[in-house]
Amino acid sequence: MDYKGDAYYIDQILAGNSNAFSHIVDRHKNKAYNLAFRICGNHEDAEELAQDSFLKAYRSLKSFKMKSSFATWLYRIVYNTTISHVRIKKKGVLSLDDFPIDATDFIEKTTNEEEAEKEYRNSLVNFALQKINEEERGLISLYYYEEMTTDEISDITGISRSNIKVKLFRTRQKMQEIIEKVEKRKLTYHE
Amino acid sequence: MNKQEEFKEDLLRYYINPGKIEKAPEGFTLKVMGRIQMEEQLSAVSERSPKINLIPVIFIAVTLMLLAAALLIPGNESDKVALPLMNLLKNIKSSLPEFSLSSLFKLTLPSVMMYVCLGILVLTLFDRALYGIFHKEK
Repeated sequence: MDYKGDAYYIDQILAGNSNAFSHIVDRHKNKAYNLAFRICGNHEDAEELAQDSFLKAYRSLKSFKMKSSFATWLYRIVYNTTISHVRIKKKGVLSLDDFPIDATDFIEKTTNEEEAEKEYRNSLVNFALQKINEEERGLISLYYYEEMTTDEISDITGISRSNIKVKLFRTRQKMQEIIEKVEKRKLTYHE
Repeated sequence: MNKQEEFKEDLLRYYINPGKIEKAPEGFTLKVMGRIQMEEQLSAVSERSPKINLIPVIFIAVTLMLLAAALLIPGNESDKVALPLMNLLKNIKSSLPEFSLSSLFKLTLPSVMMYVCLGILVLTLFDRALYGIFHKEK
């Protein structure tokens, strides 16, 4: 079915048709879930947090003034919900040894080597994401996965545009260092 | 953006594949809609029966009914019910020499007042007990 746009379904919901919200959930669920997952780092919490965010959005739909896009507003809810959750439930710091050195072994189990390599890179990025703080994870996720501009990220996070640039630069450096260390460890392991 | 920064950004872009987003699990929309419906049903129920603490309301209502009964029913009409209890109380030998129970019953108040007082006492104790239980649960 053709998606008629967020505004159309929001009007329907405000007119009393709560089922119209299912179209909005269908439309935005993957991006909302992905953002929650990249920040919190596990699937169970990500699902719960993404659901909570949709519920919060539904409850406060009346207060949504259409000043920003619905997606931006929803991601702000997901971002804030997940960040607060992670701050409460802070885990211990991961060590480099926590990344399985033989992670590339699964390459042999798959038929497509290129796909397997992508999977490996993805798991390595996820690992590196868990070694930076929740705010940095949110920024990386919005910038690289959601491919948002710094203006859009600023709308969602409430952090100024210039500050986002600085934070993104530092976070990139941190992540690069983590990735390089893991790759070095992997090389020495295979030698 | 200097060359070093470009390289760093490129490196992350090499590792991060924007197409590779974690997808919401199956049934996600249904779960969200289920939670919304449940919430709406609950709010509809609470709108029909607003949440108020019924214990003090019942307590006040019963107390008022008992007081009204005490004032409206003449003393001699309820004596048939009250008499055995009165006799029992009169026969209690008090250890206090100066305190005479019989003088208490010489009062002109209707005998049902005793039940009123007992009722109030029981309900007060009951109310406190229930309050204690619900307060603990919170």
